[in-house]
Amino acid sequence: MTALAVVSGGLREPSSTRLLADRIDGAVRAELTRSGVSASSSVIELRPLGRPITDAMLTGFAVPELEGAFHALRDADGLIAVTPAFNASFSGLFKSFFDVLPEETLSGMPVLIAATGGTERHSLVLEHALRPMFSYLHAIVSPTGVYAATDDFGSGAGESGLGQRIKIAAVDFARLISSCGPRKRRDVFDEEVNEMTRLLTAAQNRDRTNPVDG
Amino acid sequence: MSAMQFGIFTVGDVTTDPTTGRTPTEAERVSATVRIALHAEEVGLDVFATGEHHNPPFVPSSPTTLLAFIAAQTQRLIVSTSTTLITTNDPVKIAEDFSVLQHLSGGRVDVMLGRGNTGPVYPWFGQDIRAAVPLTVEHYGLLRRLWREESVDWQGKFRTPLQGFTLAPRPLDGVPPFVWHGSIRTPEIAELAAFHGDGFFANHIFWPPAHTKRLVELYRARFEHYGHGSADQAIVGLGGQVFMRHNSQDAVAEFRPYFDNAPVYGHGPSLEEFTAQTPLTVGSPQQVIDRTLGFREYAGDYQRQLFLIDHAGLPLKTVLEQLDILGGEVVPVLRKEFQEGRPDHVPDAPTRESLVAAARAAAESAGRNVEGQQP
Repeated sequence: MTALAVVSGGLREPSSTRLLADRIDGAVRAELTRSGVSASSSVIELRPLGRPITDAMLTGFAVPELEGAFHALRDADGLIAVTPAFNASFSGLFKSFFDVLPEETLSGMPVLIAATGGTERHSLVLEHALRPMFSYLHAIVSPTGVYAATDDFGSGAGESGLGQRIKIAAVDFARLISSCGPRKRRDVFDEEVNEMTRLLTAAQNRDRTNPVDG
Repeated sequence: MSAMQFGIFTVGDVTTDPTTGRTPTEAERVSATVRIALHAEEVGLDVFATGEHHNPPFVPSSPTTLLAFIAAQTQRLIVSTSTTLITTNDPVKIAEDFSVLQHLSGGRVDVMLGRGNTGPVYPWFGQDIRAAVPLTVEHYGLLRRLWREESVDWQGKFRTPLQGFTLAPRPLDGVPPFVWHGSIRTPEIAELAAFHGDGFFANHIFWPPAHTKRLVELYRARFEHYGHGSADQAIVGLGGQVFMRHNSQDAVAEFRPYFDNAPVYGHGPSLEEFTAQTPLTVGSPQQVIDRTLGFREYAGDYQRQLFLIDHAGLPLKTVLEQLDILGGEVVPVLRKEFQEGRPDHVPDAPTRESLVAAARAAAESAGRNVEGQQP
């Protein structure tokens, strides 16, 4: 069973960002099913987490509902991340969520990036904002993202239609997830302890073998 | 003194009182800190600990100077730190400062080491924050040797080498101050404390109890792993944060403006949310007693409880009243209640007397006399 996490940064209800997220999620699962892999997905809507995300930035810890979202991401094999385009970038809430997400949560995680916007003029937000951020977080970003302008929701099903673009992105992403295989989850807590053990043991051995030179 | 030690720890912040708009001067804050420490002894508390900061709006940049002044005016109080920066202070100077303080105070001193989390302090003192962990290991390794070995030859990465260096004065009775390692977040510090068999102090006040539980469990398990005793014999200290009035609604109403504007958590979660999520307790003395006794459920039987009571612009008069309630009504009950069901093999909080006795016993079992026992 492949676990997908879907992060939707839409602010309104109903939200076209969520609509896009659901369509991509459905397409990815259909694609995985076609290749014989069953998949489940958990959707994380950021709007209800608005205050917990801000509080976490101010206090340094997450309340249980935000912690639950972190766990869904931690346990996922792939992430579909969708944000509205604001001021030539992702929304502040979307960025803030990834700012408070525990370190290394996305390390080695296949990610499909997607965004919505008022017009198609903002489509490079995928390449200029989302892709660098997820690369920085050590995610494996799928080469094909999906950008949907408002008009896309009313356009036909032609070659360059939204449905077709979603399908192409879903095929690439499903391949990426399958070829990446099971993800090794990193536990920073344990890594930090192990590093300290290594340093302490090395220091002790130095003192024992060479007490004069330390 | 009982099996557990109770006291207060201060950040030493100069903060505007949000209810009056008045900001104390640095001089007022320093003298208020001394007054608070002296009153801690007057109301029967065991420990006063100060933070160390090197930037405004904080005043305690030279903790041992402050602590010596306090020790000179007290008889029983243990003076300590929360924390002493093991990364950016020269370990030789730490050894010297605390050695002199030990002699001045008649041994009423211990130390809590920490890494420090104010970025610029590292470059100000010629260090690199990215090396904070190896720096901690190396500096503490040297500090231990300075306190234990007569003549030290040493070479490391972060400090100039030493050849034939002898710490003067030698630790009082040949027994160095007890060392706590303080941590807000990092498990590395729990591992460091466990490795050396030192005390582990979980700051506890900024994070949910589940986090403290994980750190303390790690420390206890590793303490046993390194052969210092069973897990429940490890030496644990916890922070806490309280504001009390006899009527709990009065406590909430009086403390709210200080909470809402506090530098650390102000303008974020509500007072109600933060008290539910963290160990902060605002209410009646009985509520503080009940909450504090509950710490044992996830930290086990522990040795030291320090409360933060003098921050966020609270006026001196209010802080002294908090001490009256703490010493008069809360701590006597906590001493008694914490004793209930505490197994005999769980050690009491370390004191100079217990450390000297342990050193003598160890020396006798090794078949020789304790060196430097006579003053």
